[in-house]
Amino acid sequence: MLNRVRSKERDVILDSITEGVFTVDSNWRITSFNRAAEEITGIPRAKVLGQKCSDILRADVCETKCALRETMGTGKPIISKAVHIVDARGERHAIAISTAVLKDKSGKVIGGVETFRDMSLVEQLRKEISHSYSFEDILSRNHQMQNLFAVLSNIAESNTTVLIVGESGTGKELFARAIHNISSRKDKPFIAVNCGALPDTLLESELFGYKAGAFTDAKKDKPGRFALAEGGTIFLDEIGDISTALQVRLLRVLQEKVYEPLGSVSSVKADVRIITATNKDLDKLVEADKFREDLYYRINVVKLAIPPLRDRKEDIPLLIDHFIGRFNHLHNKNINGVTDQVLATLLEHDYRGNVRELENIIEHCFVLCQGEIIERKHLPASFQTTADTGYPDIKKAVTLEEMERIFITHALRQNNGNRTAAAKQLGIHKSTLFRKLKSLNIEL
Amino acid sequence: MSKTTKIAIPEWQGCVSTVFDFANRLLLIDIDGNEEINRAEIALPDEPMLQRVTSLKNLGVDVLICGAISRPLSFMITGLGIEVLPYISGRIDEVLNAYLTGRLTEQRFSMPGCWPGARKGFGRGHRGRRRCRRRW
Repeated sequence: MLNRVRSKERDVILDSITEGVFTVDSNWRITSFNRAAEEITGIPRAKVLGQKCSDILRADVCETKCALRETMGTGKPIISKAVHIVDARGERHAIAISTAVLKDKSGKVIGGVETFRDMSLVEQLRKEISHSYSFEDILSRNHQMQNLFAVLSNIAESNTTVLIVGESGTGKELFARAIHNISSRKDKPFIAVNCGALPDTLLESELFGYKAGAFTDAKKDKPGRFALAEGGTIFLDEIGDISTALQVRLLRVLQEKVYEPLGSVSSVKADVRIITATNKDLDKLVEADKFREDLYYRINVVKLAIPPLRDRKEDIPLLIDHFIGRFNHLHNKNINGVTDQVLATLLEHDYRGNVRELENIIEHCFVLCQGEIIERKHLPASFQTTADTGYPDIKKAVTLEEMERIFITHALRQNNGNRTAAAKQLGIHKSTLFRKLKSLNIEL
Repeated sequence: MSKTTKIAIPEWQGCVSTVFDFANRLLLIDIDGNEEINRAEIALPDEPMLQRVTSLKNLGVDVLICGAISRPLSFMITGLGIEVLPYISGRIDEVLNAYLTGRLTEQRFSMPGCWPGARKGFGRGHRGRRRCRRRW
């Protein structure tokens, strides 16, 4: 009786702490698993007890450098070892684990205990600060994107010049950073320059640097971005915006791997990989003599075309999920997802601003949403207007039948073809809906 | 003439490795019809995700039978046309035999704690981070 009360007390205490805790017997079978452990791994306690700990924790150390095995072998605890796990949702998390042995009254080792902290927030913040993004951060199930992923490893290894084209907000810089981070230059700097953000004269000194006395106020030498990126990668965004004069200088860097800082009489060697990007049609700029053909061919050795978000709408639910996870960490909230209505609205949207626009929409929702689910009222004002006049064809309808057709089609679209949900939304019985679908000849 | 299928199974101590992302060894089994015609084992270096995907492609793998796998890695592999059968556990020979006889969907080969539908692939009615996964 006393033991049962103590066991209950122990469970309450373990469930009240924010660190995941589990214990194993001498055969590595889990004997207890607290609430935080359920949350971090995403696996309910009922499915865990009696299972092998490696099947549940799914950490990178389980098979080769198991911390618990080491502790049970040496008797020495391990404190805050950084490892990665894959949770039940297929997401990678950084966690910090600590281990200790469990002994019975006679001092005999009967198992071990492992505690772990979710370090995802720290990892997320580290990524935000250091921009150390990899291809794991580019989520996509779109076949065009998968084709890009398939060749990127070879491109990263090749050291060749890369041109990334795509609309604004598609993630060109993310791709460039990811290429750098898997290349042999990954331990050297990645320097990003937005060529469209600086006036031409300033851009030249920014890129190549200057010597003291090169112009008024140039009191001492200043290294340019090429010098800062030495040994690493320079990312020139909005390359289509640079002047023809600067194009010539850039061409020389690409051809001869040398450049001259402003005011310098000698050349500097450049060991820098160049990745360029643009949202403009460089072919047309070349035709219009606004972009040098020779430079175009120099930068266009390997071209990566990133599809706009409206062409890969299958990624929208994934991206919503990803941004919700990210903003939950950054805003310290616990939002679970979006309503079906919000998802339908977001799937219908055109996304001129691509992934960045979707990210901003979700961030907007995070500011307004105080609950656990993002609802339509949390969407930006532009979506609310669409909601009020959500039936653009309604003005064209002249008969009751046509209006019925528009309402039913819209309800079906909003509910992804689910007739029961559409009937519920329309306030009619589903058999009525089936009858109307048949009489109005609406195909699903 | 029947086509040879190359099956890859990450291996650890005679069983399917717990997480493909972190696996160190890979079994490559050539199947012709329902017959195993060749088996090889290779070491998987500790490499970035993209290289691991490229390795599978270069090895000519058609089907990957594995334990847990992270979603980005799964997307990349399926994007290359490789079939992924995730969240499988058990001894290699039993798993392989179950695959050849169409019994891999049996509960005893399922890893504990994967959500319903996970073994059919990621993203089915799945969004939001925790709990409350409403279907659509």
